[in-house]
Amino acid sequence: MIELISYGAFFLTLALTYAIMCLGLNVQWGQTGLFNVGVAGFVGIGAYVSALLTTPDAPDRFGGFDLPIAVGWIAAAIAAALASALLGAMTLRLRSDYLAIATFGFAVVVQLAVLNLQKLTGGPFGISFIPRPFGALASDPLVFGLCNLAVVGAVTLAVYGALEHLMRSPWGRVLRAIREDEQAASALGKNATVFRLQAFAVGGAIMGLAGAVQGHFIGYISPEGYVPILTFQVWAMLIVGGSGNNRGAIAGAILVWAIWAASGAALAAFIPADQQARASALKIVMIGVAICLVLLLRPRGLLGERATVSRHVENAGDHAKDKAS
Amino acid sequence: MSEAPALATRGLVAGYERDLPIVRGIDLTIGKGELVAILGPNGAGKSTYVKAIAGTVPCFGGAIMLDGKDITAMPLHQRISAGLAFVPQTENIFASLSIGENLQLAADVLPKALRAARLEKMWAMFPDLASRPALRAGQLSGGQRQMLAVARALIVEPQVLILDEPSAGLSPKIVSSVFAMLQSINRSGVTILLVEQNVKAALAIADRGVILVEGQLRHEGNAAQLATDPLLAELYLGAQPEKASA
Amino acid sequence: MIAQMLMDGLIAGSMIGLGAIGITLTYSILRFANFAHGELVSWAAYFALSVSTALGTALPGLSASLGPFSFGWSLPLGLIAAMALTGLLALFADTLLFARLRARGASTIILVMAGFGAALTLRSLLEFIFTSKPMYFTSALQIARPLFAGARATPDQLLGLGLAVALVAAVHLILTRTAAGRAMRAVSENQALAGLAGIDVAKTIRLVWLFGASLAAVAGVMAGLLVQIRPYMGHDLLLPLFAAAILGGIGSVPGAMIAGLIVGLAEAACVNFIGAEWRAAVSFFILVAILLLRPQGLFGKAGA
Repeated sequence: MIELISYGAFFLTLALTYAIMCLGLNVQWGQTGLFNVGVAGFVGIGAYVSALLTTPDAPDRFGGFDLPIAVGWIAAAIAAALASALLGAMTLRLRSDYLAIATFGFAVVVQLAVLNLQKLTGGPFGISFIPRPFGALASDPLVFGLCNLAVVGAVTLAVYGALEHLMRSPWGRVLRAIREDEQAASALGKNATVFRLQAFAVGGAIMGLAGAVQGHFIGYISPEGYVPILTFQVWAMLIVGGSGNNRGAIAGAILVWAIWAASGAALAAFIPADQQARASALKIVMIGVAICLVLLLRPRGLLGERATVSRHVENAGDHAKDKAS
Repeated sequence: MSEAPALATRGLVAGYERDLPIVRGIDLTIGKGELVAILGPNGAGKSTYVKAIAGTVPCFGGAIMLDGKDITAMPLHQRISAGLAFVPQTENIFASLSIGENLQLAADVLPKALRAARLEKMWAMFPDLASRPALRAGQLSGGQRQMLAVARALIVEPQVLILDEPSAGLSPKIVSSVFAMLQSINRSGVTILLVEQNVKAALAIADRGVILVEGQLRHEGNAAQLATDPLLAELYLGAQPEKASA
Repeated sequence: MIAQMLMDGLIAGSMIGLGAIGITLTYSILRFANFAHGELVSWAAYFALSVSTALGTALPGLSASLGPFSFGWSLPLGLIAAMALTGLLALFADTLLFARLRARGASTIILVMAGFGAALTLRSLLEFIFTSKPMYFTSALQIARPLFAGARATPDQLLGLGLAVALVAAVHLILTRTAAGRAMRAVSENQALAGLAGIDVAKTIRLVWLFGASLAAVAGVMAGLLVQIRPYMGHDLLLPLFAAAILGGIGSVPGAMIAGLIVGLAEAACVNFIGAEWRAAVSFFILVAILLLRPQGLFGKAGA
């Protein structure tokens, strides 16, 4: 029973770290319509920055600054926000799909950097001994697990609360107006780009924070954790949850992570070892098909945007059209 | 067949959104060889009406007949081979292509045997364009663009030519040469439907004028009589004074 | 050493250029960055592999090496089949996905996302069918021959380079001298006006898919012949392809080829001077530089 609870806590904590990433993506895509194909890169930056700052001094690589975990998390968010802002500043005033291409390339570069900058990142061996919150309690798995769940849950709630607040603010309404209506966006002109840039940086910061939180929960990070598959997973979560809807983003993350973990366990149990790579390729086929199907059938996602939000959006759109005609 | 009007619409409803049509049931018949000017205040649906006939705006009801044939559901490009040509108000040439390519691509829809002769005919008709076929169309002046757009439309020898405000943005001198050209095209047998804000110039060359108000046909009549009709003065001088001078 | 670096760069660059032509065409006419283009490249390689293996098994004579090359008639035949099959695959994806979204007036970014979903599906499907184990068209080893100043290249590599140059010229002529090419350029500039000029826009879009997919097929078979065939081969090429298409100026065919060669040469220089492990980052930095300095690309029109 205790084992079950501590496994449950472990599972839920990990799922919530994905939920935070998903919330970050929701600010970018769901609220603002910015297509980020490099989620793994921003999450990776956050994880490595925080690990570098908080691990004890390591002889074989630069740093280990032994700073408090909270400092690492804040720095992770700032670093990822800066990276997003730079990418955004470069591409957002150009064609809408240049951002997608740039983020795609950015994730490739982050992956290469963490793999090759061995003096900084530990290279393929990654960084271990990342301090875990409540590490002193690790001898009691149940208490340790529940404490971690509480911390990650609190972070998730804080991000959720802050985003809900932001989305109801005038800032959030402008974002949705920009997303829904090209004319409204062009009426805002240069300002639209500034709003998009802000949203992209906020989303990036949240992803960086999620990466840091996840790294500290597991205690170990390596380049394999930040391959494109992570990006696809987070996208699947947001799409299942429904873009534009923060609660949906969290629910989608937990649901997809549960399906992912369960299907992984089922594969391991029922599929012969030599066929497992194939079977997990089929899992990704399903994510791809799901993305296409949702775009075709349910553009608002499975849970969808809440009606109140939609009404704002429609009103904003109508006003813009009235002005245009 | 020769009895059928060149172009007719029956209860045409069109616009950008089904529940908010801009053209709300227009009946109009245009005889062969006629030059008809469509007039009316801003927002009356003049442009939307001709765009719906050309096929760039969706129709939600009614019918469009070209020479007695129903073309309401016909895709855009097939209306060209059916004998209908349309010159939009803006972006009516391919700016990144050369003058020659603009005409050539319009001629490409013709049977191979006809293409060279038609091109020659256009070059003869528009010597200004013929002198520099390799020039990028984007570098042409406003009046020259209008010439090229008309030439592009004429190359298929349409029965009906529709123009959406061909005088917009042109200097008065060029407007008069564009209108003179339209008149001579009309005299060569092409039926012309013309949307214009420049009421005087349009009625001067038109056989008949049609006044649209709020998406419906308000009045039609002989061009010469219409030019002095108080309704026109009311519509333009009353509601839209700034348009009277245009 | 430098001569060899240039040679390697040109060979890799010609492959990138070929793929980038396909991207630049579909990009300028369909108006979205198609993330599934890389997967067309990969599928083409596997199509060609399957057809040429089947042909070689049925008629062993077809596998006998042609002259100095490492492959027999089965590969060129496989390439032709792959061009057709990849074209069909692209049309299939268009009918099922992109055309429906277009008909609904979906925004650019929705199309990009659909391409992303299609890419995931197609790539993992390849991994499912063929596994991620690398495969090869031939097991024959080719010896690189000395060319000039100490640079060496295999006959296969030189053939690829020649084919790329010939194809660029052919595509350029098709676009500028034929009715289909004019129609594509017209649709690229203004779809509504193209329709008014009598061009069948839907047919032209299908033609563009076929065209882009055939070029992807050539790039895929070339990459498969000169490197190896893997489900991720197209995905790994995608960033260089986008970088080349944007560097060349979206819509410019000669631009895409020249930019492809530049990207290839830059990658070779990186391998030579910095280290092979950073090769994949080169395209990103080229992309960043071009977006900062000249977003319309070397040969693109401002504002495009």
